[in-house]
Amino acid sequence: MTTEDFIKRMTNIPFAWSSVGKAAIILLVCGGVALVVGLLYASGAADSSAQDIQPVSFSHKFHAGQLEISCLFCHRYAHVSSVAGVPSMQLCMGCHQNLGEETPETKKLLGYWENGTPIQWIRLQRLPDFVYFTHEMHLHHGVDCVHCHGRVEEMPHTPRASSFEMGWCLSCHRQQGGSLDCLTCHK
Amino acid sequence: MDLRRRTFLKLAGATTAGSLIPGCKENVHQLVPYLLPDDQIVPGVADWYASVCGECPAGCGILVRVMEGRAKKIEGNPSHPINRGKLCARGHASLQRLYNPDRIRGPLRRAGKRGEGRFEPISWDEGIASWRERLQTHRGHALMLSGPLSGTTAQVVKAFMDHIGGPLVIHDPLVDHALISAVDARFGRQVVPDFDLAESDYVLSFGAPLLEHWRSPVAMGIAYGQMRQGRPAVRGRLIQVEPRMSLSAANADRWIPIHPGTEGLLAIGIGQLLLTRQDTSTDVGNSDAYPDLFKAFDLNEIVRRTEVGYDDIERLAVEFSSAQAPVAIAGGPASAHTNGTAALTAVNALNMIRDRVGKPGGVRFFESMNPSIFDQKEAPISERGFLELINEADAGRFPLVHLHHCNPLHTIPPSIPVRRLFERAEFIVSFNSFMDESTDLADLILPDHVSLEAWSDHEHLDEGRVPAVGLAQPVVRPLYDTRAVGDVMMEVGRSIDEGVPEILSHETIRDAIRSNWEALLSQRNRTNEPDWFETAWIERLKEGGWWGPARGVQSPGQDRRSPGYEYESALFDGDAAEFPFYFYPYPSLALGYGEGANLPWLQEMPDPLTTVVWATWAEINPKTAMSRGIRQGDLIRVTSPHGFLDIPAVHFPGIRPDLIAVPIGQGHRTYGRYAANRGVNPLALLGALFDRDSGRLATAATRVRIEATGRTGSLTMIEQREMHAMRDLIGIDRINTWIRGSGKE
Repeated sequence: MTTEDFIKRMTNIPFAWSSVGKAAIILLVCGGVALVVGLLYASGAADSSAQDIQPVSFSHKFHAGQLEISCLFCHRYAHVSSVAGVPSMQLCMGCHQNLGEETPETKKLLGYWENGTPIQWIRLQRLPDFVYFTHEMHLHHGVDCVHCHGRVEEMPHTPRASSFEMGWCLSCHRQQGGSLDCLTCHK
Repeated sequence: MDLRRRTFLKLAGATTAGSLIPGCKENVHQLVPYLLPDDQIVPGVADWYASVCGECPAGCGILVRVMEGRAKKIEGNPSHPINRGKLCARGHASLQRLYNPDRIRGPLRRAGKRGEGRFEPISWDEGIASWRERLQTHRGHALMLSGPLSGTTAQVVKAFMDHIGGPLVIHDPLVDHALISAVDARFGRQVVPDFDLAESDYVLSFGAPLLEHWRSPVAMGIAYGQMRQGRPAVRGRLIQVEPRMSLSAANADRWIPIHPGTEGLLAIGIGQLLLTRQDTSTDVGNSDAYPDLFKAFDLNEIVRRTEVGYDDIERLAVEFSSAQAPVAIAGGPASAHTNGTAALTAVNALNMIRDRVGKPGGVRFFESMNPSIFDQKEAPISERGFLELINEADAGRFPLVHLHHCNPLHTIPPSIPVRRLFERAEFIVSFNSFMDESTDLADLILPDHVSLEAWSDHEHLDEGRVPAVGLAQPVVRPLYDTRAVGDVMMEVGRSIDEGVPEILSHETIRDAIRSNWEALLSQRNRTNEPDWFETAWIERLKEGGWWGPARGVQSPGQDRRSPGYEYESALFDGDAAEFPFYFYPYPSLALGYGEGANLPWLQEMPDPLTTVVWATWAEINPKTAMSRGIRQGDLIRVTSPHGFLDIPAVHFPGIRPDLIAVPIGQGHRTYGRYAANRGVNPLALLGALFDRDSGRLATAATRVRIEATGRTGSLTMIEQREMHAMRDLIGIDRINTWIRGSGKE
């Protein structure tokens, strides 16, 4: 059998190359949609995609950097609770009530206070529900805020400094000799 | 794999669509700070408050986990003597009563015609003014229908009704009136004695639902565990005698499917054999009194009528007489017949023949407490008592009707025309927290808090080895514009007339509770410090109540040696030829008489024996079903002399072939989105037959017939044994069929 015969024979077999192409296109489209959605979803789980567009443009750079206010002055539950805590409106007003100078942003704050409504901040840092994390334990072991949250005193807006993914947690746990037991964080 | 083009397209499409689902999720989270921080609250750190569960009258102690002012989880209170740290599913689910979306959120006034279900919100001032006006018009002609009450609230409601003039009627379908009157007949005390299961080694139970809802099911469960495994050398035995295998029977060593309504006869048969055996520890005085009761029936007759073999009866008698610490208990189906009290009297007699009264592992009575602080308790009335009330209502005695934590239109069968109480009333006030069948007819709704928002106390001073008073404090601020019924009654009571009883003169129910507790604690915890009470009060709040030292066992006055009630055969409603089946509606483990039907966690809880969720079903013996061509899940029509219901059948091997059993609890017309229009209420089929001596509704005394409707019912079961063409949990079968179908194209 010559090569020519072979090719002739092969081409006689009814094989729908066009349908393979169609299937490939469909698969590609489906996969693409799934990929995009999956990416959005994965990022949504930890909120890193959310922009720091807050109802009031608060600057960590100014408060923590220029004014050198300690982190724990505002986030006062960090060393006693799992959550660091968002400062109460009263705490903000403790200083702001006595300030003469007003900017458009501090006027907004005053407006909230006078209406008796809290500011609904957009949450930027969030761990998924299946992770058990406490600020308290990390502070007690001498981990600085900066270590995970970055140098917020140099940031006018507050992006996510670290990925907050499991590998990132574990690398630090390995270095510092923290627990590597699954049940420590996934209870 | 045979993958065709269409199948491929379908799968690809489904995958893509599926990947979009997470996109529907709202993924912007917000952080909302406190306006003014609360010194007591650290976000992220839980506070635990001790309180009392309000789901059933057992009054178990609870600890509620509260974070940022929101109740998150409920656990049992380990120091409470009744439940000792344990809690049943209903207690856990009470969180959903607090957060239930169908709660009545503020006072309402009827807007449309009565029963039309249209209401308009009003202010509390308007509501109270309109109620006060009616109270003044109808002085002395008010009726209060209430669910079980306890402690200070019971006193306040009673004092209020005495003050304005009118009867306070307590309705609790779970109260076993037959048991109470049988004990009263025998021992002359109107209390439910303590059956010491924990120390017993042989429990002969005539239908007592000890693991379901008998008294405090949690306390019973603990005692049952002790009886089985708590002692190193003894494993107590449990024998359950009842026509349908309940959860208790499923846990028993032996289940004896007795003929319905003959439980008392079996007890008499056992008693006869016990008396003829000479090795009983009977004192002479007792045995003299019984021959009348026990000799009235021939043993062969008993074998024939109970359908329990002679060998079985003899075995029970031998076991009961040779056990170290046997106890005979009864309830459930045994007391749900027209001879309920008589049957229970016979069962009690077994305990007396074996001299088990006042002994560890037997029937115990305890010294009653001296202080009469929580007195003026009103006893629940039996269902027969409602007939009298209805007659009085027909005579125009009750133009003003109040409803407080009860729903008689759902828990009492229509053959007792409770609806007339409502029809004859000019004005109906409801304090219920949810719209239910009875509240739907109200003219004015003044909603109460739910138990997690309210102050209350729950006394157990007459029962149990350890006298206890549970103290319930609000664990969260009231979610809505509701008010404690005690507060409202005090406010109105004070303004209505002079001569206000002392208990109503307090400002709030909390003050009334505190004054009772000052009296209670001053007897034991008083010190010389001026603020001793404040200290003690805080301590009691932390502890969840007050419990005294274990008290001594008291032997009851055995002056009533003659049997209180003559035994008679059970009567049934319906002709045996036309209605060949016995019918037993029993309280659902999760939903009770229907009060739990609006809590999704309880609806979702599979019935322990049939695994059905979210539905009503009819239990039918597989042989009976097969002989009539009724398959699992087929809709059958159950017809009694009082109506019919279409119910999906469940083949249940643990039931006599001549019995149909249906759980009570569903069939709400209105009770929120989770309960409404789901299942049926089997009480609708019952006739107005009562236990002769106690007046308790004889729920097992109606006969029915069944016929297949040819339709398939909607039934969801976790365990799908013998299921044909039935709806399943997630429809995998249907998807499989669909894929197979498309593959063949």
